[in-house]
Amino acid sequence: MTEETKKQNTRSRRAFLKGAGIAGVAGVAAAASLVVTTEVEATEMSTEKAAGYSETDTVRTYYEAARF
Amino acid sequence: MSRFAGDMPNPDSTVVGQNAEAPDLLEEEQLRANVYALLSALLISPPDETLLAVVKGLEGDDSDFGMALGGLALQANELGAEEIVDEFTRLFYGHGAGGELHPYASFYLTGFIYGKPLADLRQDMGVLGRARTDVTSEPEDHIAILLNAVHDLITGTQGDPLDLDGQKDFFDKHVAPWAGKFFEDLENAENAGFYRPVGTIGRLLMEIEGRAFTIAA
Repeated sequence: MTEETKKQNTRSRRAFLKGAGIAGVAGVAAAASLVVTTEVEATEMSTEKAAGYSETDTVRTYYEAARF
Repeated sequence: MSRFAGDMPNPDSTVVGQNAEAPDLLEEEQLRANVYALLSALLISPPDETLLAVVKGLEGDDSDFGMALGGLALQANELGAEEIVDEFTRLFYGHGAGGELHPYASFYLTGFIYGKPLADLRQDMGVLGRARTDVTSEPEDHIAILLNAVHDLITGTQGDPLDLDGQKDFFDKHVAPWAGKFFEDLENAENAGFYRPVGTIGRLLMEIEGRAFTIAA
């Protein structure tokens, strides 16, 4: 692949992503660092949250349904 | 060996060109990485207040993708946090425990969890210098962990980033065979409300990625 072909492909790819809406989402761009930080916090909280689920009616129902 | 499922990424890595450990990404590449991160965060556990605030503020353009993001923001503004937690539970509460969906590559590709797709993924992630952490009990082929891995492979937050050819190979092998179907199932899930537009966003992202990789090839 020539250098010019690579550049053309890059331009085409950028144009496609823009047209598809990826680049038109201001909220995701503006909140980028917050989203990634939150992602980790959410992951770290997953075990704790899982314990919390057992207190909801929905989870109690599932436990009841799963009981042998 | 770097970790890919739980180590704290450098928040600065999401700022284009400002992370010494990451390459200077084109804006569009960084934005697609951000979408992967957003979906991963929404699918690993119910959103906390901080993430919900982010989602409430999302604004899309008039593309299908943009409208799906707007739809998600609308749901976030209309539903309470407890409703979303209950919905997450009904949708995803564990294999065999009654959750409507099983967001694992192994399940989608073989009908069983902890199958060969997971072993293949672990092997490839090892080759790429990534290893899972024990922060979450979910296996690496859980959709959220997989999307987080793709984010990492684009941005290089946890190790060397992959070029587009490498990203395409990973996407074709580990993501494309099942993730689009999972997101379609999420869109159509009986219990989905808040997560219905999440499914739409994911399905559209998979379509966009598949097409964009062919342009780059």
